[in-house]
Amino acid sequence: MSPLGDPRGAPSGLTRSEELVLGVSAAFLLFLLVAMLTGALGPTYFLFLVGLAGMYALLSLGLNAQWGFTGLINFSVAAFFGIGAYGTALMTASGSPIAGGLSPLAGLAVALVAAFALALLIGIPTLRLRADYLAIASLGLAEVVRLIALNERWLTNGSAGVRGIPGFFRGWPVLSTFPDAMPGLRIEVIPGSPVILETAFWQASLNVLLVLAFAGVAYAVLRRAHRSPWGRVLRTIRSDEDLARALGKHTYSFKMQSFVLGSLIMALAGVFYAHLNLYVGPGDLDPITTFYAWVAVILGGSGSNRGALFGGVVIVAIREGTRFLNDVALPIDPAPLRLLLIGVVIVAIMRYRPQGVLPPQRELIWPRAVDGSGAPETPDSGVRERKGGGEDE
Amino acid sequence: MAVLGYLANGLVFSSIIVLGSIGLSLVYSIADFANFAHGDTMTVGAYAALVTLGAVGGLGGAVLGLPYGFFVALAAGIAVAAVAAVATEKLVYEPLDTDSIGLLITSIGIAFVYRGVLQIGFGADFTRFDVQALRPIASLLPYGVRVTLHDVAIVASAVVLVVGLHLLLQYTDLGRKMRAMADNPELARVSGIRTKRVKLWTWVIGAGLAGAGGVFLGLFNQLAPRMGFNLLLVIFAAVILGGIGSVYGAMAGGFLIGMINQLTPLFSDVVEALPIWPGWLEAALESLVSIEYANAIAFVIMVVVLLVRPNGIAGEAAT
Amino acid sequence: MSQDNTNVADRRTLLKLTGGAGITALGGCLSTTDDGDGSDGSGSDDGDGSDGTGSDDGGDSTDPYEIGMVDSQTGSLSPFGERNQRGVDLALSAVNEVGIDGRELDVIVEDSGSENQSGIAAAQKLVNQDGVPFLIGAVGSGVSLAIYESVVEGTDVVQLSQNSTGLELTEFPGLLRMSPSGLSQANALADLIADDGYDRVALTYVNNDYGQSLTDAFVDAWDGEIAYENSHDQDQQSYSGVVSEMNGSDAEAWLFITYQAEFTTMVNEVYSSGYEAQFYGADSVSGDDVIENTPEGSMDGMRIVVPSAPVEEENYQSFADAFAEEYDRQPTSWAAYAYDCVINAALAIQAADEFTGAALQETVRRVSAPEGEAVTSFEAASEILADGGGPDDVDYQGVSGPIDFDENGDPVGFLQIQEVRDHEYEPVEFTQG
Repeated sequence: MSPLGDPRGAPSGLTRSEELVLGVSAAFLLFLLVAMLTGALGPTYFLFLVGLAGMYALLSLGLNAQWGFTGLINFSVAAFFGIGAYGTALMTASGSPIAGGLSPLAGLAVALVAAFALALLIGIPTLRLRADYLAIASLGLAEVVRLIALNERWLTNGSAGVRGIPGFFRGWPVLSTFPDAMPGLRIEVIPGSPVILETAFWQASLNVLLVLAFAGVAYAVLRRAHRSPWGRVLRTIRSDEDLARALGKHTYSFKMQSFVLGSLIMALAGVFYAHLNLYVGPGDLDPITTFYAWVAVILGGSGSNRGALFGGVVIVAIREGTRFLNDVALPIDPAPLRLLLIGVVIVAIMRYRPQGVLPPQRELIWPRAVDGSGAPETPDSGVRERKGGGEDE
Repeated sequence: MAVLGYLANGLVFSSIIVLGSIGLSLVYSIADFANFAHGDTMTVGAYAALVTLGAVGGLGGAVLGLPYGFFVALAAGIAVAAVAAVATEKLVYEPLDTDSIGLLITSIGIAFVYRGVLQIGFGADFTRFDVQALRPIASLLPYGVRVTLHDVAIVASAVVLVVGLHLLLQYTDLGRKMRAMADNPELARVSGIRTKRVKLWTWVIGAGLAGAGGVFLGLFNQLAPRMGFNLLLVIFAAVILGGIGSVYGAMAGGFLIGMINQLTPLFSDVVEALPIWPGWLEAALESLVSIEYANAIAFVIMVVVLLVRPNGIAGEAAT
Repeated sequence: MSQDNTNVADRRTLLKLTGGAGITALGGCLSTTDDGDGSDGSGSDDGDGSDGTGSDDGGDSTDPYEIGMVDSQTGSLSPFGERNQRGVDLALSAVNEVGIDGRELDVIVEDSGSENQSGIAAAQKLVNQDGVPFLIGAVGSGVSLAIYESVVEGTDVVQLSQNSTGLELTEFPGLLRMSPSGLSQANALADLIADDGYDRVALTYVNNDYGQSLTDAFVDAWDGEIAYENSHDQDQQSYSGVVSEMNGSDAEAWLFITYQAEFTTMVNEVYSSGYEAQFYGADSVSGDDVIENTPEGSMDGMRIVVPSAPVEEENYQSFADAFAEEYDRQPTSWAAYAYDCVINAALAIQAADEFTGAALQETVRRVSAPEGEAVTSFEAASEILADGGGPDDVDYQGVSGPIDFDENGDPVGFLQIQEVRDHEYEPVEFTQG
């Protein structure tokens, strides 16, 4: 079953953990589908959750680009998330103190530029530091960003936040009227318990479309990057920076590039959040977002993009799933219980499965063995013969 | 307030920070990772003391405005924090087969666990020790110094504990072994030092000091489940400023950061009084050197130190 | 799913077939809803499997009416959440003793965590998953607005905030609130301090929506000089900087617009620094936590403006008695607001034709508006409605005041001036907002 035992058959199969996750995910999806069709789960609410999961997945993907690829411990995730959200909010919202009313695409552009600038601002002093210093310094700088957002009322409206953010698709030819134009649908699988999909549902589906687009782009970019020579250098830096330097790579600039890439993706998550919630406040830059993103990445598997997606889903499951505990009378408050649960999850993962649930498998195979189409090549001969002069692909 | 007054307040706040930063630095240098659960260890100590004080009462008599029972509670806080840390080390950190980054991440989980348990047990609301509040010491008022006997107690206890640690490090066997391990762990092990035991004792001392810091923080202000975590970043700034790996550096760093935090109003007065040439720079400085940014100033200093002198004031040579 | 190395192609074909079959089956159950369907996305989007809410006719089933509530069960505003909960529970027992047309009322409470993200998620669950047509929420003004703008606006759901006093809510007529706008408080504070003979005031406020909006209104209303004005962050270990700066400003009147935890720290620091001044406070500095954790004599003479229930009114008295019997303490105005929210909602439900957001929008203001017979209990109001009366025939006078929402969704407010004497809060006088 393992790639070593059966090189020919391995790539087309899945590892045990992947199969397990796939099985569980499929069963879970089926369960959700049934719940929706019978009316136990509201479709609009479900789509909202999917949107949130996509947002956390984006954060994890961005963090993965920094930690998973290059080994940068970045604790300023919340700052980039916030700057993405504020960037677009300040450009497009009617309640913005400095601009407002621009198209959300302009907002997206401004958010990305702002994130780029902030990445440079935070990266330049911190990326030369060793890993744990980078962690602490980035956490501190993120707090500075939050305090600026909170105190500089002329810039951000201070604690009142920015209101009146339009939906992302405002002004688009077809999509802006899509939720109203679509007819209401009535699905009746179980007679007497109809599932009605109307405007709010279509609006929510547009949001999901948006986050899937963002996540898809990010995923594709990261996949490409990981397999490219650029990605190879990053992985070398992660495992042994001195080696990379000895090979003549200007490690600082590679680290900066990886940091910026990850930050841009995190800002995308912030942009989506702003157009989902239609309101942004300094409370959204609370460091807890950073810790959630970290849990998602560790849980999913450091260095693995699929793991990041998985982690994002789990985080939303923990955050919102514990809400349903309210219906079950517990002697313990749900909020500290959630905190405890997250702490236990972190410790358990680090103790029993530090590589995460879906660690990178094929992503770590030497790129030359992987052709561009995605499926890794199976060597015709053993590794030694290959190295010794066997046929190259 | 007079400059002396600010300095006095700074001294009191520094004492608490120093207790936290020494503990963190000790753990950092010997267990070799940044312990993000350190702030919550302080909270553990504080709540243990709260429970003890409630159970034991005043025990008649008082010293420096604090009933004897309070000192019993202080001892309990130190002990419980130490026990919690040792238990965590034995159950969680030791069996973990990972590097310092992995331990860092695990310690975040431990921090959440500590805080979650405390909040489940005590609720989220704030509370105070059942100790009589005091008026400032009259004889010091003419100098512009407004401190109470409690503040004196905090400073005095911190001095006692720090001196005790110094004596331990310099003159005892254990202290020597700890310093050896901090300098060069492999050499220490090779030379026969039982590193595991020394590590355990480091946890005891480091967490104990943190617990004491938490108790005094609770006395200085109030107790809430978030109290330690809120202070954690500032303590990290102190440790980094002083230099990771150096306990004395941590003392200096803690002292400095505590002072800077309390002296911020003085700084903002100075900035306002100074004529600064470009108008926008003056406006920016005035707005940034103000109480709202007091914590931010500490972080910025930390980052600047890291840039200019990555090993801090008294840190070890670059690794 | 497959355990062994199944051929990738096989799995794909299987998925395609399943998908195709599924969609075909679904198509068979599909139909479009009529246009102009009365309810918009909210109430009828889906129904919780177990009870019959969200359906057009409320008369058939005997399941309870379910409304939603977003409350601060955790986070910085959790003390308010606790008080609200007591008011809500008391109101529910009053309502369910009589019943609404033979059915009970149930409130689904979700936690906002005192912050936007969780608050919006809570509202999403209540509106889109539980399908409630009536939402009581939230405590923090920022959270209430965020919920309104991202979840409620554009639907028919009725939103009634129990505790938000921020000024911006006035600009949203669709967002009702039971506690009066902070504007009245700010005006009252300005008048109070001026009447006490001070023309210079040093002011500090908590750095969030509540603090900033109240401060802005106060600065507008205040005629004299503002010797010192600075914000402070929540959750800090020490406010000695702020306190010493207030002292350095030489103003003799100090105004605190902040929450209990922060104020307690400040009081203790003032006490241990030996400062003296006349203290004034906005509503949130008042509370048992402050009294318990500050020394005697540290706040004596302090005057606080609190939105209040009319304490002398008979219905408030009976409410206070019932409250004290149940919880062994006197109610706060926050509990009274929450109580009235639930009663108002119950009456709106009873007076409405159907249990949908659109119908409840019609009745919610009218059941407590000045037209109609003035009643002070749910029982009495319910009787009038049961006898065939409409929403205009009843005027529910709440335990927190006559309610009477204006065109902006704000109620008529009563304010109370409290003074700290012998380390206890004593009511001094009442004004109307």
